[in-house]
Amino acid sequence: MRALSTAATGMMAMDLNVQVIANNLANMTTTGYKRQRATFQDLLYDHVSRIGTQTSAQGNILPVGIDVGSGVKTVGTARLMTQGTLTSTGNALDVAIRGDGFFKIQMPDGTYAYSRDGSFQMDAQGRIVTPKGNVVMPAITIPQNSSGLTINAQGQVSVIQQGSTTPTVLGQITITRFINQAGLLPIGDNLYTETPASGSPQDGLPGTDGAGDLLQGNLEQSNVDSVSEITNLIAAQRAYEMNGKVITAADQMLSTASNLMR
Amino acid sequence: MENILLVGLSRQVSLGREMDVVANNIANINTTGYKADGSLFAEYLSSNARTGSSSSRISFVQDSGVWHDMSQGVVERTGNPLDVAIDGQGFLVVQTPRGERYTRNGSLQINAQGQLVTSDGNQVLGDAGPITFQPKDQQVSISRDGTISVREGSSNVDTVRGRLRLVDFANPQQLQKEGAGTFSAPDGAAPQPAPKAAIVQGSLEKSNVRSVVEMSRMIEITRAYTQVANLLQQQGDVSQQAIDKLADVPA
Repeated sequence: MRALSTAATGMMAMDLNVQVIANNLANMTTTGYKRQRATFQDLLYDHVSRIGTQTSAQGNILPVGIDVGSGVKTVGTARLMTQGTLTSTGNALDVAIRGDGFFKIQMPDGTYAYSRDGSFQMDAQGRIVTPKGNVVMPAITIPQNSSGLTINAQGQVSVIQQGSTTPTVLGQITITRFINQAGLLPIGDNLYTETPASGSPQDGLPGTDGAGDLLQGNLEQSNVDSVSEITNLIAAQRAYEMNGKVITAADQMLSTASNLMR
Repeated sequence: MENILLVGLSRQVSLGREMDVVANNIANINTTGYKADGSLFAEYLSSNARTGSSSSRISFVQDSGVWHDMSQGVVERTGNPLDVAIDGQGFLVVQTPRGERYTRNGSLQINAQGQLVTSDGNQVLGDAGPITFQPKDQQVSISRDGTISVREGSSNVDTVRGRLRLVDFANPQQLQKEGAGTFSAPDGAAPQPAPKAAIVQGSLEKSNVRSVVEMSRMIEITRAYTQVANLLQQQGDVSQQAIDKLADVPA
């Protein structure tokens, strides 16, 4: 009976749905986290009798056919790249992006990764780095004994150097945009890498050409909405249960059929 | 006498298929834009099978079709600018490798070329072909009539990138499900513009499967299946007894 395997595809899909929701909830307070959503599609149909088949020599045709579906499949776990809430932290090296785009981070192997997490630190050489010690591009070194670190909306980093009263601009943080942000590959640590689906990276300056601007002393919270995650969780759990009931019912029918023979 | 067995068998075959349809509905209870299916049964009069000497004919049951419940599903707010729900009767047009297909699944994406695509990567068609975004586009807004406008770069004026093509059919029951949330139109069923359908941005249409209806239908199916099985069992007993009694020739 097809119903058994159909219901099994439903249970597998809902199982994956719960995994995605669990990951969203686990990352509710992860800076710059973008929530994922599992999307489902119906599987192929068995056209037992096709619509439009001639039923008589007079040209009568079947108005409806018999299409029996074979279940559901997961088509993707798309990331929703909406803006998260900004919260003020007061830390000079916390930077949030308001709008589109990612910070460009150099990985230890020389490749680039992209992140929305702007909780930066300073390393021993005075460079601006991520909490994992990877350099934020373009590399900006803050001289020793300087004070008054400011990052403006356009990404310009300036400090007041020792013995001076006017700020010196040290460099400008760039923002990278992708035409299909949802196509980026998450590699953990709040980082994403380029894929053929994301399109090539377009480096730009904050606040220009559609790139978002920067806000010093703020962090972008995750865009996970707890209420909608919990309601999705309830829906997924109930759907799982109902598919389980279908398996029980199909099993009963099969056992009825097999009990016919004595 | 075998007629009873055959009538029962015809009912069991059709109940089995109805169960498959219900199982598919329940499996797709969380599938965006999914439309529930229902089974149709018809009486089938056999010209040869008759009850004994009387002239009344035996009727069998057969499943004559599966209909699509094209009613509106619940529209859920997601807040994602590329999620669109269709309010009213109508379909989005998707360009697949096998030709134009129609869908109500409005969970859209942008591919690496900047084209508006479905989750499968098939292009969503506008009035003038595929809809393409430029690298600097931001703030995508889709109006109720499907017009897609963006702000390009730092511009303060909207630029129109196209208008989603919404179509409808004189008889939507003729559409055939192709899987992946798409429908295909049979020859002769030409898509017509759907002026009454409206696009709701930032929302998705949930599946229109009603869980309570499907669950009660499933109970109905299992009970009917058991009843028919009991009937067949009793018929078997009758035959068995007839054989035992009639063939009981005293030695």
